[in-house]
Amino acid sequence: MQRFFLAPVFTALLMAIIAFSTTPADAAASKRVKITGEVIDSWCYITEIMYPEGSAHHQCALWCTAGGVPVGILADDGQIYMVLKVGSDTTNVANQTIMKIQSHRVAVDGDLYERDGIKYLLVASVLLDEGIVKKTHDEYGIQPFGN
Amino acid sequence: MKQIFTLSVCVLMWTSLGAANAAEEWGLPEEKVARFEAKVVDILCELNGDCPAKCGDGNRQLGLLDKKDVLVLPLKNRVSFAGAVEELIDFCGKQVIVDGLFTTNRGYKVFAIQFVREAPEGKWRGATQFTSRWAKKFGHAENSAEAKRWFENDPRVNAIIKADGKLGLGQAVDAAYLKSQQ
Repeated sequence: MQRFFLAPVFTALLMAIIAFSTTPADAAASKRVKITGEVIDSWCYITEIMYPEGSAHHQCALWCTAGGVPVGILADDGQIYMVLKVGSDTTNVANQTIMKIQSHRVAVDGDLYERDGIKYLLVASVLLDEGIVKKTHDEYGIQPFGN
Repeated sequence: MKQIFTLSVCVLMWTSLGAANAAEEWGLPEEKVARFEAKVVDILCELNGDCPAKCGDGNRQLGLLDKKDVLVLPLKNRVSFAGAVEELIDFCGKQVIVDGLFTTNRGYKVFAIQFVREAPEGKWRGATQFTSRWAKKFGHAENSAEAKRWFENDPRVNAIIKADGKLGLGQAVDAAYLKSQQ
């Protein structure tokens, strides 16, 4: 008799566990990190189709950000952290806050998710904004058209 | 003879249809042409469960979740300086077939989308929606010179360049640099 009573309870518990285990929220676990590096246009950096850092690439990085290319932070450890959120703003396409710090050297903290070889960063706050530190235009001109 | 002719026509039609929607090679590092089926997902939603309606309505980066549950990051479309969101947003939550290029460099494997269609048999669409949508958003004709050179006419970009210069170091640095190049 008791077995008949408990069976629906176990079934309900099992279904609840399965339901929660398949939500996107559980697809990856995050960890809190502090990252320091340069805000970059991920496409030009990864593909190296042109020189992608500092003042030489600032205008192009603005174009790509406005065009919806994902923005990353090239950290001092050489890793790229794709920015998906800044503060409470969860828009990450042509985000105006990100555009204003494009090519800047920044320190941020936030939650890091890793999925299939890509690091995704949900920035909680920008702790430091040093502006554009790499003055690369004398060597590389203004990318990609020279003006 | 008739059979050979028919077969030849069929092969020609097949290769022509395939070529019409096959990705162009761009000469990217470790470039691989790829066509695969995937679900269009809001990446932020996929990672942390923050899931607004319609994948954020074009304001969030979109990913391609393939049949092996690999989250592919599409960085580019076929428009200069533009990403993949405008090409995929119409397919939020749907299965699509994408055609484009994988490139692997500096330890990262990313995707450039050139064509997309709803799975299994939707009509192919070139990954160039960005231009017309940008034009509509900023009040230009779809085929105008402004739309074709959208990046030089984007008011969001131009406001920042007006304040900080092309180099991002102030207008005085721009002026000095450009003068030095004359």
